[in-house]
Amino acid sequence: MSAITSSFIHPTMGFYALALILPFLRGKAWKWLLLIPPIIAVWSVMTVQPGLYGEMNYLGQKLLLGRVDKMSLIFAQVFAVMSLIGMVYALHVEDKLQHIMACVYVGGAFGCTFAGDFLTLFVFWELMSIGSTFLVWLARNPIATKAGFRYFLYHTIGGLFLLIGLLMRYKAVGSFAFDHVEPTAMMAYDWMILLGFCVNAAVVPLHAWLPDAYPEGTVTGSVFMCAFTTKTAVYVLLRGFHGVEALAIAGTIMCVYGVLYACIENNARRILSYHIVSQVGYMVAGIGIGTAMTMNGAVAHAYAHILYKGLLFMGAGCLLYAAGTTKLDKLGGLVHRIPWVMVMYMVAALSISGMPLFNGFISKTMTITGAAEAHRTWLAIGMEIAAVGTFVSVGIKLPYFAFWAKPANDKMVLRPIPANMYVGMAMGAALCIAQGLYPDMLYRYLPFEMEEMYHPWTTWHVLQSLLLLGFSGLAFYILRDTITPHAKTNLDFDFFYRLFGRGVLALVSKPLAWIDDRWTEAYRVAGLGGLITLARGTVWFDTKGIDTVVDGSAYTVQNVGVLGARIQTGRLQDYLGLAATLALCVFAAVWYFA
Amino acid sequence: MSLFGMLLSELRARRGVIGVLFFLGLAGLVVANVFIRPHEVEFVYDAYPGFWAVFGLVGGLAMVIVMKKIVQPMISRGDDYYERNN
Repeated sequence: MSAITSSFIHPTMGFYALALILPFLRGKAWKWLLLIPPIIAVWSVMTVQPGLYGEMNYLGQKLLLGRVDKMSLIFAQVFAVMSLIGMVYALHVEDKLQHIMACVYVGGAFGCTFAGDFLTLFVFWELMSIGSTFLVWLARNPIATKAGFRYFLYHTIGGLFLLIGLLMRYKAVGSFAFDHVEPTAMMAYDWMILLGFCVNAAVVPLHAWLPDAYPEGTVTGSVFMCAFTTKTAVYVLLRGFHGVEALAIAGTIMCVYGVLYACIENNARRILSYHIVSQVGYMVAGIGIGTAMTMNGAVAHAYAHILYKGLLFMGAGCLLYAAGTTKLDKLGGLVHRIPWVMVMYMVAALSISGMPLFNGFISKTMTITGAAEAHRTWLAIGMEIAAVGTFVSVGIKLPYFAFWAKPANDKMVLRPIPANMYVGMAMGAALCIAQGLYPDMLYRYLPFEMEEMYHPWTTWHVLQSLLLLGFSGLAFYILRDTITPHAKTNLDFDFFYRLFGRGVLALVSKPLAWIDDRWTEAYRVAGLGGLITLARGTVWFDTKGIDTVVDGSAYTVQNVGVLGARIQTGRLQDYLGLAATLALCVFAAVWYFA
Repeated sequence: MSLFGMLLSELRARRGVIGVLFFLGLAGLVVANVFIRPHEVEFVYDAYPGFWAVFGLVGGLAMVIVMKKIVQPMISRGDDYYERNN
């Protein structure tokens, strides 16, 4: 293994170094170390020059750990910023394992982003899967444990699709290089890889792991998870498969599907999870449409989304931390007790809704306008419908039922929220507003050249957004009693996954168990008798054959030893006599043979 | 209760006034739409003033009614459905 160039501090190194040393640190000061890898990551991605770094030869394969270009850099940049915000938000957590697993997970995301080949990508892809599974398990309750197992199983299957695809691809083209595939020349192995990516991007109907697992993660773990898994998948889809028509359709379906479910959900973190499906839909659709504007829109939306979705999960995390639940039917009337949580949450809620002044406005409209300009009218309409649903459920329903509805609730016991959680939220909120006001903060990093730059801040765009959101708000006002959340489980595609799981279980426990029983019986009757005869033969051979040889040698050595001991009497005259006899024998032999 | 919390409680007490302001705001937006039109027509009908207002209102109403009144009764089960069935 030999490194050719290494003038780029790969952000993964900082996170993995911290994960390795954290178990050995004592006292309290180690907490401040949590901020160092994100700060190094921010510095690294803001200063590095585009190029190829960390090229290696390993087992005859060329691996590329650091493909730094505009596309990987903008994703790495928002990952770095979000990792810093997430670590600040998690500073109060005493459980070191949570921090270690967050590092494994976040480091994996950087590894995937800079990977230039499928092998490197696959390794980091799986590390992300392991890290995030622990972020669910470490909530340390029975529901989270089960959800974590389901999550891990599902991601393992997704990872296997990727592995099968990349191995088949290697067999066919002889290379692990990870580059764009022409949509018109896609082979079976490319579809396999695409399927693996789509699992992580939560493309409907492969999405149900997301609203199943994210609501059960730790308060701080879900903040990390909502930012990295799906957006890493968006990055690899953009890198490998932009322009694939199936993604344009699937993305728009995701947009609408997510908001429809969010409409009827009760758990705040599950509502937000469905909105990840919906928002990632805009990105997947933009990638599928494949024009410079829609792809830039997808990237911009991924950037903005990571910031506001992180903030939304931080807000919902505060509810969970303080009140012990995120179920809306149990919350309400809390606005006067945790007002700043409400304010921070609203910044994120207005951002995701695409309200002017906030960053969703400058990213979402870019993808939609791009779709319309590419004459994909139905896709653009689907995205506008999703925008309506987003404002109704995340923008109004969730905060209304969590903070405002019901009379002022002074009885509910609220745990005080640590200051660092507020600081993390304030950082996210500041960035959401700053990007909304100064779109160029984000636009200047966009990777694709456009003929004409998109300008979100026009009178018409502002008016259109206000009309759309204002009247969606009116719809909520009219139907506020109808939309009241109820404590229900809404069946989703995971119903079918579980059915499949039960089918496998039934197959194993019934027909396969029957075959196993019959086989055991046949073995007992026929196989065991033969085996006993064979064993007897072996014993006979052992005692008569092996033992005779081995024991015989041992006895010979022993007898020679006894004879030797007898000869050595310790009396000089015996030795002299023996020596004389030996000399005589030697002399006789020489005389006879010579 | 913090000062800010008290301020929000005051706002809550004046929800009638806020409601009136909200409706006035909506009316103002529609009036503005008569004068401010899209740079480029995207879907034919969006050239007419009030299109996006109708889109938001009808879209929102339809979504909530269909999902809460028709779809949810079909797909919802008890809160501990999966726990009981494991």
